[in-house]
Amino acid sequence: MKIKIRETLRTVAEYLNRGKAPYFLSIGLTILGFVLVYLSPRSIPAFLVFAAAAGLPYFLSIKKSIKLALAVLVAIVLVPVLGARNIFYLEVIFQIAVFSALALGLNIVVGFSGLLNFGYMAFYAVGAYLWAFFGSQQPFLLHAIPGTAPIGTQFFMAADWFYLFIFLGVIVAAIVGLILGLPVLRVRGDYLAIITLGFGEIVRQLANNLDKPLNLTNGPQGITPIQRPTLPDGVIRFFNGIFEPLVGRPVTVNQFYNILFYLIALVVVIVAIVITYRLDDSKVGRAWTAIREDELAATAMGIPANKLKLGAFAVGASFAGAMGVLFAASRTFVSPESFTFLQSVGVLTMVILGGIGSIPGVIIGASVVIILNLQVLQSFSLFLSRLRQSDAYIPIINFYWRDLSNQLDPSKYQRLVFGIILILMMIYRPAGILPAARRKRELRVAKLEADSASVDNGNGGNGLPDVDKPAASPKEDNHA
Amino acid sequence: MPDPVDILATTNVVKRFGGLTAVNKMSFTIRQGCIYSIIGPNGAGKTTFFNTISGLYKPEEGSILFDGHRIEGQPPEKITALHMARTFQNIRLFGGMTVVENILVGAYTRLKQSSIQAVFRTRAFLDEEKKAESRAEELMEYVGLYGVGNELAASLPYGAQRRVEIARALASEPKLLLLDEPTAGMNPSESADALQLFRRLRDDLGITILLIEHDMKVVMNVSERITVMDYGEKIAEGTPKEIAANPRVIEAYLGRGAAAAMTA
Amino acid sequence: MRRLIKSAGLREILLPLGRMAVFVLGAGALMSVVMVVLALLCRGSGADKLLLSTQNVNIVFYTMANLPQVLIDGVTIGFVYAAIALGYTMVYGVLEFINFAHSEIFAIGAFAGVEFLIIMDKIGVLATSGTYGPYLYLTLALAIGMLAAGGIAVLIERTAYRPLRGAPRLVPLISAIGVSFALQDIIRLVESLTTGQFYRVIPTFGNFDDKILLFTIQTASAPIKVDIQVKSVIVIAAAVMMLVGLNYIVNATRIGKAIRSVAQDRDTAAIMGIGVNGVIAFTFLIGGALGGAAGVLYALKFTRIDPFVGFMPGMKAFTAAVVGGIGNLTGALLGGIILGMLESFAGAYLGTFTMGNFGSEYKDIIAFLILIIVIVFRPSGLLGEQISQKA
Repeated sequence: MKIKIRETLRTVAEYLNRGKAPYFLSIGLTILGFVLVYLSPRSIPAFLVFAAAAGLPYFLSIKKSIKLALAVLVAIVLVPVLGARNIFYLEVIFQIAVFSALALGLNIVVGFSGLLNFGYMAFYAVGAYLWAFFGSQQPFLLHAIPGTAPIGTQFFMAADWFYLFIFLGVIVAAIVGLILGLPVLRVRGDYLAIITLGFGEIVRQLANNLDKPLNLTNGPQGITPIQRPTLPDGVIRFFNGIFEPLVGRPVTVNQFYNILFYLIALVVVIVAIVITYRLDDSKVGRAWTAIREDELAATAMGIPANKLKLGAFAVGASFAGAMGVLFAASRTFVSPESFTFLQSVGVLTMVILGGIGSIPGVIIGASVVIILNLQVLQSFSLFLSRLRQSDAYIPIINFYWRDLSNQLDPSKYQRLVFGIILILMMIYRPAGILPAARRKRELRVAKLEADSASVDNGNGGNGLPDVDKPAASPKEDNHA
Repeated sequence: MPDPVDILATTNVVKRFGGLTAVNKMSFTIRQGCIYSIIGPNGAGKTTFFNTISGLYKPEEGSILFDGHRIEGQPPEKITALHMARTFQNIRLFGGMTVVENILVGAYTRLKQSSIQAVFRTRAFLDEEKKAESRAEELMEYVGLYGVGNELAASLPYGAQRRVEIARALASEPKLLLLDEPTAGMNPSESADALQLFRRLRDDLGITILLIEHDMKVVMNVSERITVMDYGEKIAEGTPKEIAANPRVIEAYLGRGAAAAMTA
Repeated sequence: MRRLIKSAGLREILLPLGRMAVFVLGAGALMSVVMVVLALLCRGSGADKLLLSTQNVNIVFYTMANLPQVLIDGVTIGFVYAAIALGYTMVYGVLEFINFAHSEIFAIGAFAGVEFLIIMDKIGVLATSGTYGPYLYLTLALAIGMLAAGGIAVLIERTAYRPLRGAPRLVPLISAIGVSFALQDIIRLVESLTTGQFYRVIPTFGNFDDKILLFTIQTASAPIKVDIQVKSVIVIAAAVMMLVGLNYIVNATRIGKAIRSVAQDRDTAAIMGIGVNGVIAFTFLIGGALGGAAGVLYALKFTRIDPFVGFMPGMKAFTAAVVGGIGNLTGALLGGIILGMLESFAGAYLGTFTMGNFGSEYKDIIAFLILIIVIVFRPSGLLGEQISQKA
């Protein structure tokens, strides 16, 4: 029965993926999603349709150029317009972009190289505090007790250094990644995971405590205000000139900043995707996977495993560093709260949910988790709080909703969500929603005999490092 | 100074694990272009000796000279770069990678591309990748694998996995190839094919081959010289004929009584 | 024959007691000496001058005068860590797996025990239970905490870990992290649904907060009293009894032998007719029960608990297990005492010695640093054998 459903679905999918159908499907869905969200900006189903429309073309057989055009249209025009109408959506999409980059970075370490890292947020913190320190008044407040900044303190440097600091964030985080990665040379497996947890906690606690002897981080209060890059004159006027009729009203400076940060995040995430893809499909990426599959054999093939593992840590960290700088500027505020173990596990959840080692997978994972957190859980919370204010009750047991505890706020139950996702994925689908697939190459012989090959390659192992894996059992070799 | 045509020369190599001496004062030389076998009972230290030569273990004592370079205690990547490659007794392919990718991993030390080139997809990078890929295909054909380039290595039958492992080793362009029980688990016709392949490797490509082998038929058939190990030490060395007649060897394999019975 | 068994049993009780005494005295003496030497080296430093000007004592005297209290606190918290660490170390010993959810098992024990006491308090029996009644109720609370925690531990093993046995090593670890997070929120949900608050405070009852004066140090200014709270004595006594009991179970009983054999080689043990699943479940039961008891003791000592209370003690106990040599019961004890002492010393002296620049808030950082350093440089711990780590 189950198989039958699956086959029916496959037939439908194949039918939709033939000829002109995918073009109509994706363009139609995009328009539909856009109109739905445009008309009812608060509705989640509308947003999901739009999100699906944005993601679907990736899986359909559409000409690359059309795909690209669609992506550009969605990213540069539709999302900013919808975002300007309802800033909440822009926040969701901004967070998806930020966490996609983080998940991509963590995926290099966990997915490609098989090194579990529980302290990944430390790199994000490094980037965030880097700009938070230099992009605020903090350098002038080194001897001030937190909360006693004299009025009229100057900013340390001009706001537009922000752009340079995105690159500095990459470099500094990569260096910290190398340092954090050093234990990798001696430790492996679960112990490495615990060590990275320890590092992550140390970084967070340092951020919490380094308000003395020198006030570097302003302690638990966090640093604020942090500068945003300046907007050139006329940019907003230009934007309003084009989009005001669509948006329905002129955007304000703050709204425009949200659009700007969304666009920067988009650029960073695209760069991250390109780098990840290209590294994965080069000798470095193959070496990472080889180390994950069988470190001893990889070493014997002449791969300097230690160097490559450190490299994985550094590259993974660098994505987080760049996003950290962006995060600090977009919030104009950082505090140690944002870099907890919970957050690190959150990013890990995205990677594992989407598909460990799979690039589109981890992006989907990040999107699902963010939408779940920001939209589903929050609107559930909203729903409950409305029920609380009403006179509704559950009939048979006579339970009045207004008696429901205020503490029951689903949006605060992230841990439960992450936890359940992690357990269920590990037990039932360790390779994730969209498992990593090995790239098929255009081979001369493969073309001739591809049809005779009956092995399903869609599921590239479970993607987790497995050093103890026994060698294939000696089967009868029937090809001779 | 060993003869220049000796590609590998070990002198008094000792490898210990705690109190156990797994390899004890092993000295031998392999001439270039030779097919050389190491035999011995289980636990004689053959694989440990292999691991010491290929750099996975650091020897406590002794020296290893490979193609004019001292390599004892060098990391495997240095040794691979000097054109030595190996296979494993219990096939160790990267099961989750395709066959072509496995072979490309073998070519790691021969690829000059940098990560920066990879990210920017430079002409040099693309050319090199293309060349490496077509070379991988050649190697697959050479070892007798057809149409499985995009299969996951773990999904192949056992004998094909052995071939992939050899192709992967060949991708590093070895002068010396260490094969650890390459015919283990094969049926007679498969091992005959394998022997054919080893001879071709030597005759066509000029690769020197060092074998660990259990199958006496294979050993006697293919090797030009044989070293016999027992309890970590070399107990005999010579041509297959000499080895077959050596009472110490028979004793090591079959026990003292059998040796006495045979010589009697 | 019978006498022989009996004496072997006795040995397994006396031996751990002796070890504990040696560890406590040894670690205490070592730390004290190091601290006094440090104080001597710091004479005339800024910290010394600050102390002289504010409290009119020099740094050496200050250090010495505070030592007894610091040692007592260190031992108390050290035994709590040791009790938690045993849970980690037993599971690791048998399955080679870090049961990350052990910190939440600890929290569940704490909540179960405290909830019981709160109910008893509401009924009104706690306040009127006389002199010995409170001890009875505390014992009951401990038993309930152990039962709840042990039960949950077995349940977790059955649902979230057993299906993953034989999977690559990191798979159960990730599942364990998931369990840990899910449990934190489940505790929060349950607790906040019943009362609207997700933290609990243990009711005040009995004479547990009283202080027993041990001795007084006469000084030029005011005499320094060295005392120990009744609850600290209870914590230490209870922990000692549990540790001895566990040692007895593992080393002198049939099931203990089964546990050890499964730890050595699961497959062979199974061939020998040992019910491996049962043994592993029992290991979780025992480890969980110890963690639960430690939770109740922790609540008694620190009074307030919340669903996240397990994380830091859990991490420190894990550190203790690793410091001692994970998989090694004696090692967990030693590690716990060392960690407790370090924490107590850091809390008491770090602020003073650095003139307030680095205070006791760094004690967590110190614990993590120790964890990292030990794992990197001696992953087998102080008492473990130096074996190459399996990947």
